[in-house]
Amino acid sequence: MSDAAITPSGHDRAGPSFWEGLKTNRNFLGFWFMLPAAAFLVLFLVYPLGLGVWLSFTDSKIGNPGDFIGLENYEWIIGDAKFQLAVFNTLFYTFVASVVKFAVGLYLAILLNNHLPFKAMIRAVVLIPFIVPTVLSAIAFWWIFDPQFSVISWALRKWGWISGNIDFLGDPWNARISVIFANVWRGVPFIAITLLAGLQTVSPSLYEAATLDGASKWQMFRYVTYPILTPIIAVVMTFSVLFTFTDFQLIKVLTNGGPAGTTELMATMSYNTAILGGRIGEGAAISTAMIPFLLGAIMISWFGLQKRKWQQGSDND
Amino acid sequence: MHTDRRGFLKGSAAFGAGALLAGSGLTDFARAWAQASPFKPEKGAKLTVLRWKRFVQSEEDAFMKLVEAFTKATGVAVNVINEGLDDVQPKASVAANTNQGPDIFWGLYSLPHLFPAKCMDVTDVATHLSKKYGEWFDSAKTYGMSKGKWIAIPIAYNANVINYRQSMIEAAGFKSIPQDLKGFMELMKGLKAKGTPGGFALGRASGDGNAWVHWALWAHGANLVDKNDKVIINSPETVKALEYVKELSSHFAPGTASWNDAFNNKAFLASEISLTNNGVSIYAAAKAGAAKGDAKMKEIMDDMNHSNWPVGTVGKPTEFHICYPMLGMKYTKFPNAVKAFLDFTMTAENYNPWLEGAVAYLSHPLPAFDANNVWKSDAKLTLCKDAGRRTLTAGHLGSVGEKAASALADFLILDMFASVATGRSTPQEAIAVAERQAKRIYR
Amino acid sequence: MSDAKPVQADDSEGMSYLDTVKTRVVTVYIPLLLILFVLLFPFYWMVITAIKPKEHLLDLDTHNPLYTLAPTFEHIKALLFESEYPRWLWNTMFISVTATILALIASVFAAYAIVRIRFRGAQITGGLIFLAYLVPPSILFIPLSTVIFNYGLFDTPFALILTYPTILIPFSTWLLMGYFKTIPYELEECALIDGASRWQILTKIILPLAVPGLISAGIFCLTLCWNEFIYALTFINSQEKKTVPVAIVTAFTDGDQYKWGSLMAGALVGSLPLVVLYSFFVEYYVSAMTGAVKE
Repeated sequence: MSDAAITPSGHDRAGPSFWEGLKTNRNFLGFWFMLPAAAFLVLFLVYPLGLGVWLSFTDSKIGNPGDFIGLENYEWIIGDAKFQLAVFNTLFYTFVASVVKFAVGLYLAILLNNHLPFKAMIRAVVLIPFIVPTVLSAIAFWWIFDPQFSVISWALRKWGWISGNIDFLGDPWNARISVIFANVWRGVPFIAITLLAGLQTVSPSLYEAATLDGASKWQMFRYVTYPILTPIIAVVMTFSVLFTFTDFQLIKVLTNGGPAGTTELMATMSYNTAILGGRIGEGAAISTAMIPFLLGAIMISWFGLQKRKWQQGSDND
Repeated sequence: MHTDRRGFLKGSAAFGAGALLAGSGLTDFARAWAQASPFKPEKGAKLTVLRWKRFVQSEEDAFMKLVEAFTKATGVAVNVINEGLDDVQPKASVAANTNQGPDIFWGLYSLPHLFPAKCMDVTDVATHLSKKYGEWFDSAKTYGMSKGKWIAIPIAYNANVINYRQSMIEAAGFKSIPQDLKGFMELMKGLKAKGTPGGFALGRASGDGNAWVHWALWAHGANLVDKNDKVIINSPETVKALEYVKELSSHFAPGTASWNDAFNNKAFLASEISLTNNGVSIYAAAKAGAAKGDAKMKEIMDDMNHSNWPVGTVGKPTEFHICYPMLGMKYTKFPNAVKAFLDFTMTAENYNPWLEGAVAYLSHPLPAFDANNVWKSDAKLTLCKDAGRRTLTAGHLGSVGEKAASALADFLILDMFASVATGRSTPQEAIAVAERQAKRIYR
Repeated sequence: MSDAKPVQADDSEGMSYLDTVKTRVVTVYIPLLLILFVLLFPFYWMVITAIKPKEHLLDLDTHNPLYTLAPTFEHIKALLFESEYPRWLWNTMFISVTATILALIASVFAAYAIVRIRFRGAQITGGLIFLAYLVPPSILFIPLSTVIFNYGLFDTPFALILTYPTILIPFSTWLLMGYFKTIPYELEECALIDGASRWQILTKIILPLAVPGLISAGIFCLTLCWNEFIYALTFINSQEKKTVPVAIVTAFTDGDQYKWGSLMAGALVGSLPLVVLYSFFVEYYVSAMTGAVKE
């Protein structure tokens, strides 16, 4: 950068050699830069993904490739009350968990953005729920949501607020709320920390200017903070939605879809059908049926991002 | 001492070391067995056995001893892998689909029937064993055979029985567990009235949950399918069974709709419930606690007992115990070693100590083992002896194949009962959902 | 160049200087404490379960469940000395770190190519990468296991090291794309004019500026690997090659009897190194972002 004396000739397309030209050819370079990521995805994803979609059109069973049966699997699952329930549960679970995660995550990020004692420690501590392996935190939640030994029921009983134990996982709506709570618990930290990082990019001079203009706190958030955060929100929330939608471990351990399928998600249902029930084709159809929903989520964020290019570099302030 | 869950034993060195271990009866026998056995392992054979993770430590110790003896006698190194009960099936499914993996799987229920074409034909082993130890129990035949061939050896059963507190049922006015449906309802009602309710799992508990709802279904003469695999779940009997369970569950301890296989264990051990269904592992846990000097556990151990299930309107036991079949995979490079291992396992000199080690957690599939010491050692455990005789099989009247396995995995029956018991749907609605699903599985 | 001022993280709390102490307590400390309480309670519950004698777990009336007067280390002892836990921890770390590094390398190249090289179809490629999340691992593992077998990777750490990047690359690529976009194009143009190669630009200019992005992607990737369950369950058979989440559930469950103490101890001991690691990086991650663009 300091050698400004060197004349700019090497990057010219009409350069001395073919190789020089190739080295600066965007498509050629792009190909090589994309190669590692593409290799991983093609070798370990595209092929199995294609196979998965193919399986959904067959009556494949475990150990038996099966025959092509067209849309039969789909016709069946669409009319299946349990599948419909699973779709509802999945949408409900994803929507509520994502909204709550976002709201709490943003709020927490704003709180953490304050001048606090032990700041570093608090920020690290916040990440703890995200770090503990899900299977094991789910087992801890067993105890917390236990019909007999729940510490929450115990405390509320001690205070005299309730007389009997709360049936956290046995009542359909309680169960849905409980698993959403566990999911939110796990998901909030990462969202909060990432949004916090985004918040810190907001220059205080903007707030000063806004204060001088007499903006209220809410207006400051709405017209200063929020627009700057939008791109990072879009990315984080897209992934949050995708991961919530395909959540598996937490439900598998906490309720296994019970009671009577009221917490069954499409992911757990496809696993149970394909792996435990042996009906691979049908299970593949259930998971393939998730694709349109996921695609929808991706599209929304994709076009959201297009509209507002990520942080615009720093060329407009 | 091996506290390890895994034993990889070098077979080649074993012959040299054998002399030092001559005192071990099992080893002596093993060598004699290897001479006489019709199944001669391939040279240089190595086996990998994937089994479910033990429930009782002493069972695993006995099993590993047996494996060790097998290695010493035949020179076949055996690598034992333990997986959680619910993880055996995914592993076996992957192996069957890819034609690679462990040589032997030891799983539960109708595992081999999920992929019968991938299982080794072990008819010769089964015949060899029944010649020595008597006819296989009927349920064992059902679980072990597919299309006239044996595709697995049903090694053992896990009895699922009623666990109860004697003092509490006495307080409710009963001496023992009534062996009829009406009396049983009265008992549950009485227990609830006394503030010591019982409870059965209505959550998706593949073991305990499935065991008791199938009992309830069959006890009322209802069935998922008939003997031609035609779906007959939509019947007045099913309605009766559902109504019975709905009433029964109103006397349960709260929260049973969320119970999985582990929840009733801890509730029982905490004296929160007076009665539940389980294997004999609660008793084993109480015993272990008592041995450590825990007074509460001692109290539970002394007070608790086991009972068979009441017999319903059909007039014969309709219990549903877990069967543990062991199967060899067709892709194995050492089919004879697999057969030798299966035969060796079931040979009385090996099987008996093992059965004892399992302290009634496992029950045998062959009549000769009725004489095992474990059935005389503790009166509270004797009833498990007949698990193999009393149990019905997955699918009951119908075939035990992949369809029955599918219905179990989908919690078809369990969900039907749970949705009625929790008041989510009427019996008719629940039956309609189950019927549609069953017709799909049994199409 | 624009007026993106270098700002010290500690001064960036907006207009908080206007608040009085009282309102700060109400608007900041109380809500923060409440949220922290909720976030940390299950963790505390795990800690207390790990050191409580087993019998106390089931007796809420005589033993207050919130603390224990008779802490025991038997569960932790069983975990560390009577199981292969250290080995599993090592496996998990090795697999997670390797997979994360691989994924980050691939993502850096991909993100740079999409954002800055702008080859034909870059936009579309950026969208296509997302499609990786379309079919969840819960069903993908059956076809994938065939692939793993065919490549001869079954029951080796590479089965996981090479498959995990598929769940990591999309997210980290997107995150890095965002960071790369924040780096002024002018910097790069100057370098190009000075005759620097793309490689030099990437390593000398872009990467140092994208450190916070790398850390944030790294944290996310590492944690995803740490947590992954299905692939680890199906692709690894041997006890000594397993990862923590899969191994300890099997090791400390006897059928329907759970060894709660050791399970929870396993979760804690496995998490502590990460907590320490993150406590260092998180601060760096959050503050480094502020001053990302300096002249």
